[in-house]
Amino acid sequence: MATYRLDRDSDLIDNPSPRCACMLVLDTSASMFGEPIRELNAGVQEFIAAIQEDEMAACSVELGVITAGGQVTEQLPFTTAMNISQCRQFTASGLTPLGAAMTLAMDRLEARTAAYRQAGVAYYQPWLVVISDGVPTDEWERVAARSRALAQQRKTVVIPVGVEEADLEALGAFSSRPAKRLEGLKFREFFLWLSASMSRVSASASTTEQVKLPPTDSWDSI
Amino acid sequence: MRGKVVTDSLGKPRQLGKRLARGGEGEIFALQGRADVIVKWYYPEVLAKRGETLHRKVEAMRALRDTPITRDVCWPLIRVFDHERRWIGFAMYRARGVKMGFLAHALLYERHFPGLDRRQVVGYLLRFVEIVQQLHQAGICIGDYNLNNVFCVPGSDQVSLIDCDSYQLRVDGTFYPCPVGSPDMTPKEHQGKAFRDIVRTPRSEAFSLAIVLFKCLMLGRHPYDIVGGDDPVRNLRRGNFAYGRGQRSVPQGDWYALWQALPEALREHFAVTFTGGADDPGRRTTLAQWHEALSTYREALDRGESPRDITPGRAAGFGGRRVR
Repeated sequence: MATYRLDRDSDLIDNPSPRCACMLVLDTSASMFGEPIRELNAGVQEFIAAIQEDEMAACSVELGVITAGGQVTEQLPFTTAMNISQCRQFTASGLTPLGAAMTLAMDRLEARTAAYRQAGVAYYQPWLVVISDGVPTDEWERVAARSRALAQQRKTVVIPVGVEEADLEALGAFSSRPAKRLEGLKFREFFLWLSASMSRVSASASTTEQVKLPPTDSWDSI
Repeated sequence: MRGKVVTDSLGKPRQLGKRLARGGEGEIFALQGRADVIVKWYYPEVLAKRGETLHRKVEAMRALRDTPITRDVCWPLIRVFDHERRWIGFAMYRARGVKMGFLAHALLYERHFPGLDRRQVVGYLLRFVEIVQQLHQAGICIGDYNLNNVFCVPGSDQVSLIDCDSYQLRVDGTFYPCPVGSPDMTPKEHQGKAFRDIVRTPRSEAFSLAIVLFKCLMLGRHPYDIVGGDDPVRNLRRGNFAYGRGQRSVPQGDWYALWQALPEALREHFAVTFTGGADDPGRRTTLAQWHEALSTYREALDRGESPRDITPGRAAGFGGRRVR
């Protein structure tokens, strides 16, 4: 089992930083077996390390991880980056219940932002990153519409990323922006970009305006 | 890759060192052989879009380089060109110290300012107010208030300001706006407008400056963080300040105790500025009034009449919890 240092009760009280919730929804189905899952794991670990190196981001970014591989698993409930001691390694197996994973992710995001408001903690637009190498194997159209609506209303930044033979059209339906295709298995480059984006967001004094993000050319392909 | 050699106005090449920061408009590089000097290099797309405007503004600023205002501000001093002798930015002195954002943070201040007490915090704030007053006397407004652009040297009361090429100024009849800002630090009368179209005034500055003072004295809390309420910007527009008289919707924890530890005069200035002053710029506490109230507080701290501990009356401090 995971050993997270959960300090969630006092965290929203003692830490005055505005929060940026970042939920990762990861496809860990059987087709990710081998090098893809290894690279994905390495990318997530480097992501956490990079955020923790930036003290402001470490106080600001709250990371959550949900995997869709055979079943939907909440691997990491929302935790402020500075309190994450480790994140377990994911294994690849089963089908891709991405619809159910996204439903859980959006429920968790809603609950978390409600907790921020309740505690009087300011927050940036939450991020929802979904990475898949295939097509959802469950019902996903309804949750895609829900997610897309939030993105259109600028209530959530939804970043869909396709790996290898992914169905970019289905992934793109989750957001107001088209899905990007990861070049090869450049998970690490993607997560470095994500951590740079998180650093930029958390360095911003503005919780209501959109922040200009770094270019994605280190990891996406046309 | 961008070349790492720049030239000065005489065409003399200078080698750049490590990239120190990436901002919204450009990058900051060290200058080899001069540890005290850094170079701001605007991004090519920024130069392509408004290079001429930037160049004119930086030149206007450079004209003031020998005035006393540049002493505590990292002012553009020397023009910098690329290998084809195109203007790409400027050189300035490097600020020493630690970002005020680390001072104004309940979980981070101890790591960056060991042994910090209220005397020192108030000392930094007094210096900050004095520097801004000096800028105002020269007709310059900061506009884009951001705690990450104020550097404090731990163990001293030295303060310096960075990122000043965005300041609003008027030189020889030409007005140069401050084209950037953030709504969380901007007074109501300037909300919802393009920053480049705003004319900052001493009264608008007094509001943003009060937010900086509040965040430093309240360990990072924004004055408009409110329990169960809206985002800080909506609260700001409504003058919805939680502290004031009595306790309404103050965030949980020790925040109200921190507020109560402040002298009454300072609390009154904050309450007036953040409630009535949100709507009526004339009611905001002026920089001179802040300076007076902070000086009085500093004297009380010096005489031992007011507790110096950052978190008064609580042995454990903020839950006794610190980042690793």
